[in-house]
Amino acid sequence: MAAGGNNRSRLLLVILLVTALFLITLDLRGINIAKNSRSATQSFLAPVQRGFSDFFSPVGNFFGDVKNFGKAKAQITDLQKENAKLKNQLVLNSDVKGQLAKLKGVLNLAGRGGYKVVAARVIGQGSASTFTQTITIDAGSSDGIQKDMTVINESGIVGVVKSVTGSSAIVILMSDPTFRIGVRIAGTQTVGILLGQGNSRYTLQLLDPTGTIKFGDALVSLGSDNNHPFVPGLPVGSVSFVDHSNSALTQTASVTGYANLNSLGVVSVITAVGKQDPKDSLVPTPDPTKTIYVTATPTPSASNATSNSPAPTPAPTVKAKK
Amino acid sequence: MSWTRAGIFSVFLFVVFVIQEAAISKINFPIAGFSLYLAVLLGLMSLEDKFGAFVLGFIGGLILDLSPSSDSPFGKWALILTIIGYLFATNRESIGDFTERPGSFVIFISIGAALTLLVFLCFGVLLGENNGSFGTNMLTILGNSLWTLLFAPILLPGLVKWRSITINSRERA
Repeated sequence: MAAGGNNRSRLLLVILLVTALFLITLDLRGINIAKNSRSATQSFLAPVQRGFSDFFSPVGNFFGDVKNFGKAKAQITDLQKENAKLKNQLVLNSDVKGQLAKLKGVLNLAGRGGYKVVAARVIGQGSASTFTQTITIDAGSSDGIQKDMTVINESGIVGVVKSVTGSSAIVILMSDPTFRIGVRIAGTQTVGILLGQGNSRYTLQLLDPTGTIKFGDALVSLGSDNNHPFVPGLPVGSVSFVDHSNSALTQTASVTGYANLNSLGVVSVITAVGKQDPKDSLVPTPDPTKTIYVTATPTPSASNATSNSPAPTPAPTVKAKK
Repeated sequence: MSWTRAGIFSVFLFVVFVIQEAAISKINFPIAGFSLYLAVLLGLMSLEDKFGAFVLGFIGGLILDLSPSSDSPFGKWALILTIIGYLFATNRESIGDFTERPGSFVIFISIGAALTLLVFLCFGVLLGENNGSFGTNMLTILGNSLWTLLFAPILLPGLVKWRSITINSRERA
């Protein structure tokens, strides 16, 4: 009887394994079972994610906030004073205010580049068990969004639309290991490929073996045919480390993205592009160095002092950088 | 495991999957994210007999294959979790009843979660997928296991109770 049970279990195991392998083979051969079923799941999940998004918005960064608890204690006194003032000024919910600021930033960037955009709220992030870096947004094909459209935030490029349903879309983020984007260095116009690494750092590979990269070089997107999936001229990131080893055929560098992918609240999808290429005009310019001169003014009490007292020495000039 | 119970568990797992995708994945856990779905599925698999572990692994894998954020071929999770179900079933018998040993259960589940993700990555490499740098992936696996280790003790009583509700008298005997 036990042997019979074992045989039954073994037979079932074989059947299940063969079925799974059969499904994988079908998928890899292009018979797309996954696309339809995942699209249906996304349609089902989108409203649920939207509901949970409203609920989880304040607690999503709970663990990050706990880490900084020590610092918070010292600021409590200052904050209590500030809080009294803010209570009078507070009209909008701070969460909404933050989203508005981001939206204003992204519309500003889109306006300067001459892009037509659809704004969307981030309602979900990629699952912890799939090793992919994605977000779900609350705008879909009914808002004019299609697959392979560029997604931006106020700082620059964020990713590309991977799949779309009627009311939501999945965006593959720049940090995804499969993400590749053609970029050029603003100024020198040297062309390269930026590769996602699964974290906040990216790798830049120059296509020209004689090209050079410098620390701080700004990168903008090169663009694609018909502006899909990439629109040209969008800020991508800046070079943070140049690999000077001679072992590689082309020069490589580490890049820090302009867009912070860990705090995406509102993003915009570029649905149409103006006739003119913005070239390098969207590259964020660093704040200019401000020089503040502080000169001591003699006070009346000092001038009325005894004539033997030495003249007040001017305070040293302070050069402050911002 | 009866087919009725397999159906009930499928619905239950789908609900957990929706919670995972809509809520848990919104929380920015330090180190790496926590997969409630994997923890619940592995917990249920470890409480089942050999037959139940395979079937739950396969059904759970198929549900996980539905994840819209997944780039892997459909059926990959089903294959991996069926294999994990087999490994669970063969090793579980040497440990005995988990309900009397919560410590063993917690360790078993967190090691199981790490093993599952590791097998997922290895299969990805065999299929030519690009899953990013080795360090980041190891950190993801480590983070997930640590969170599973932390949350599994909370899950155990609920899973045991849920199983006892769904089990019929014939299966109990």
